[in-house]
Amino acid sequence: MSGDEGFSRRDLFRRLGARGKEVARARLEPVIPVRPVAPAKNIEPRTRHRVVPLHRPPGALDEEAFLAACTKCGDCASACPHGAIVPAPARFGPAGLTPTIIPMASACQMCPDTPCITSCEPRALRIEQPLRMAEARIQPWACLAHQGTFCSVCVERCPVPGAMELVDGKPIIDASICTGCGVCQYVCPAPENAILLMPLTARPTASPSS
Amino acid sequence: MNQQRAQQASPFESDRRNFLKLTAMAAATSVASSTAFGSSAFGETAFGADSTDATEAGASDVRWDKAPCRFCGTGCHVQVGVREGKVVAIAGDPLAEVNKGLLCMKGYHVGLALYGKDRLTQPLLRVDGELQPISWERAIQIAAEKIHAAPERFAFYGSGQWTIPEGYAAQKFMKGGLGNNHIDPNARLCMASAVTGFIATYGVDEPAGCYDDLDQCDVLITWGNNPAEMHPVLYSRVVDRRSRGETVEIIDISTRRTRTTEHAQRHLVFRPHSDLAIANGIAHLLIANGNYDEEFVNKHCAFRAPSDPPTLPGRPISFDEYKGFVAEYTPEHVEKISGVPADEIRYLAALFGRRDVKITSLWCMGMNQHTQGTAINCLVHGIHLLSGHFGRAGDAPTSLTGQPSACGTVREVGTLAHALPGGRVVMNSEHRAQSEQIWNVPAGRISPMPGFHTVAMWDSFCTPLADGGKLDTLWVQVTNPGQTLPNLHKLFNRKEGLEDKFLIVSEVYPTATTALADLVFPSAMWVEKNGMFGNSERRTQQWFKQVEPPGDARDDVWQTIAVAHRLHELGVPGMKDKDGRFLFREEDSGGKEVPIWEWEHYYDLNVDERLFEEYRKFTRLKHKDLAPYSEYVKTRGLRWPVVQSDAGEWRETRFRFVEEQDPYVAKGKGIDFYHSPTHDGRAQVWFSPYVDPPESPDEAYPFWLCTGRVIEHWHTGTMTRRIPQLDRAMPRAYVELHRADAEALGVTSGDVVVIESRRGRIELPAWIDGRGQPPRGSVFVPFFDESKLINEVTLDAYDPFSKQPDYKKCAVSVRKLVKP
Ligand code: SF4
Ligand code: SF4
Ligand code: SF4
Repeated sequence: MSGDEGFSRRDLFRRLGARGKEVARARLEPVIPVRPVAPAKNIEPRTRHRVVPLHRPPGALDEEAFLAACTKCGDCASACPHGAIVPAPARFGPAGLTPTIIPMASACQMCPDTPCITSCEPRALRIEQPLRMAEARIQPWACLAHQGTFCSVCVERCPVPGAMELVDGKPIIDASICTGCGVCQYVCPAPENAILLMPLTARPTASPSS
Repeated sequence: MNQQRAQQASPFESDRRNFLKLTAMAAATSVASSTAFGSSAFGETAFGADSTDATEAGASDVRWDKAPCRFCGTGCHVQVGVREGKVVAIAGDPLAEVNKGLLCMKGYHVGLALYGKDRLTQPLLRVDGELQPISWERAIQIAAEKIHAAPERFAFYGSGQWTIPEGYAAQKFMKGGLGNNHIDPNARLCMASAVTGFIATYGVDEPAGCYDDLDQCDVLITWGNNPAEMHPVLYSRVVDRRSRGETVEIIDISTRRTRTTEHAQRHLVFRPHSDLAIANGIAHLLIANGNYDEEFVNKHCAFRAPSDPPTLPGRPISFDEYKGFVAEYTPEHVEKISGVPADEIRYLAALFGRRDVKITSLWCMGMNQHTQGTAINCLVHGIHLLSGHFGRAGDAPTSLTGQPSACGTVREVGTLAHALPGGRVVMNSEHRAQSEQIWNVPAGRISPMPGFHTVAMWDSFCTPLADGGKLDTLWVQVTNPGQTLPNLHKLFNRKEGLEDKFLIVSEVYPTATTALADLVFPSAMWVEKNGMFGNSERRTQQWFKQVEPPGDARDDVWQTIAVAHRLHELGVPGMKDKDGRFLFREEDSGGKEVPIWEWEHYYDLNVDERLFEEYRKFTRLKHKDLAPYSEYVKTRGLRWPVVQSDAGEWRETRFRFVEEQDPYVAKGKGIDFYHSPTHDGRAQVWFSPYVDPPESPDEAYPFWLCTGRVIEHWHTGTMTRRIPQLDRAMPRAYVELHRADAEALGVTSGDVVVIESRRGRIELPAWIDGRGQPPRGSVFVPFFDESKLINEVTLDAYDPFSKQPDYKKCAVSVRKLVKP
């Protein structure tokens, strides 16, 4: 698939669907139950005990570096045209009031011009970071298509070309391309939402320079 | 009614997750499925309940009962979970033969259709341009006075979503009461051509086969049909056979690529309207190659062709004449007309020529919304008959309906401008007499003149009386014509500002129709009332009221009876029967009249049951026998004719006209078309020529426009767009374009394009290589979106026999919107 196709598809549904700020008023709770995340290979060992796996805006530094850099100014939230970025609840301790995304309220639409990243002065969000926020997985037991009734909504609405594909009428995610934006979770009409999104706290961080 | 409630086993005894795995997704739309938008994580549930998962709570406080799904003509059964007066869960009903526990995405959320935030909860009257709340007392009075002022200028417009008792009450009120035949349903817009096709071919309406054919066929042909989106559970039933190792070849004959095509081995894209040529081409080859079923034809068929002037029965022709007529349709000639390669026509004809494969044809709006709708319906029946692909399980020409009770209510109760219950027509004096006798009304009450069909009705209603309009008061129940009529500017929007027109609308939500209503009745919907539906396979289904309607919303049957009674009080003679009693008189067991027109007493007895038992008396004539109400309480529907065996059991019929299946076929007959239009047991094989469509693309309007539905939304989205999960999945209408056309127009996905016809224009975002892919020169627009009324663009030309308009083709121009 060509890049332009993906962009244009995103434009289509941005026009069709963006509910933006109107839905971002939702009360804040982590969508995914808190669970430890196994450290990946290219990631420095954890120094702190455990982090709350929050779904960060695109381009976020590794969670610890991010928490160190983020000033909780909220500029990224103001910059997001879809109202997707909201502050985490204060009771989350050090993570309280840091920017997070609740895809079920308003997912990241993968804006090509990444206004959130551009707005981040302390560079807790960086364009040179891989734009990966979470890992999306389809839970076949809940997915309509996998259970034999027709659905292709997630594939049609995924804004990242190549991240999802319909194979034999069933959606498949390419984990190496998926950014975890959460659009698929937002649109999934299954009675039990079939998309499991696991926020990445261990994000490969480039050298923590500048 | 409670003592009649069937004992329902809760399907949720086992662990929830296991259950999901075991029964193919018989999942509940639980109160707070953890990720639904209205979930506990966001502090509000669409059901307004707490975050307990009802289905996991051992279901102890959840009461389960059966109901057919509210949405499409497939007629799946759901289990409805109710707690504290609210529907809190929905599950596929594993005991239902239609869906065996499976539902489509709409069905899983059907419970949420009741709980949109803007339900209409009180009667409204337009005062100084604004709808203002009024009492029921006044609302009924106003409606009655309007009708009383000029009963002959009153019309009733309903739908295939009327329950059987609702349609029956409206039918009796109009034809048996007011002696007025201006009653027509929206089903005129969706299956009227299927009806005329069945009648012209078999002399009696509705498919001979049933869904069991889908389990048995070797080949499934979808004619302009997209069941993957429109009848998803049915198509699942077919596709699922492959996962069990069975083979079924699917051939999709259509005007664009759809989700259905993805599961098809062959896809034949034809030029809009040219399906007639394809069918004739198959017939020609069957005869030319000598592999038609000569024995079947000799025993069971006769031949017909259009008469001059055209009539529905046409004129009889000989086999040789027929052979001569179709001879013109050589594969090469068909290719020229349709664009389908000649070899594909040969392939199809060869298939039909084989006795060892079983072929089922499916169709719905593609063949019905067609200015040659009756003709193409007849032609497809014709090739099945000619080739003997009829009457064996898996060999069937089957039309589907889009609405849950298009068959049960419209076609069987006959809520059409020319029809009477049970397959009767107003033009027939015997039929009128039989109806007058059952209704116990004086002879001559029923008018012999057919009333206005849908398009004529709305045209007349939107025309000032001074300019020849014949109608001034129109009552709409259970449908949304302000969005679904074709050519809306002409047939609906024109009503605005006409002082002498009064529009009454029974509705559950504000719609494009209530926007022009003068009086609005808030209605109870689905399981807020008792009801019965009849689905596409002749299956009559029943359910009980399970929750109270919100606010002052009340049943449509009650509304009809309340207005009838007020007219009775105003002295309208038609509201009395022969013995001077109220037309809708119901008595308790002691013979005392129950005032069912008073809401407090409406549920003192089961009005649905009373109306249904009365209606049953009509159903024998055309051998569409129905069982007593109590039998439907016990089952997930029964397919008529339902006939009592000597042992006293009520037995349904899977295949009509077939010995041993259909109780009305005598032993030794094999197949008997016992309602044959020629009264000799023969079905009619029709020839109808290909003719050009009424409007084709030209220089000014170079594209074909086709409209239709999407899987997420049902009809105009009044219900489904208020279900958050479905609204998010498909929030807005769009236009599908071919990539090459888009490139030529400088359009990419998401760009806004202008679609314009001679009748109207609309702006829509483009979707290229999306779910459906029209061929070059064609565009597709779904009609569910109230903010994008594509029917302001469509054409109101209709089939001469069925009067069904063609929503599937008209000429439009397409260009990129240039912002000033
Ligand atoms: S698969 Fe889902 S999470 Fe991943 S990029 Fe696509 S829409 Fe976003
Ligand atoms: S949107 Fe949800 S149910 Fe539909 S195919 Fe995707 S994961 Fe499955
Ligand atoms: S296929 Fe039709 S009847 Fe069945 S669940 Fe879906 S909408 Fe309801």
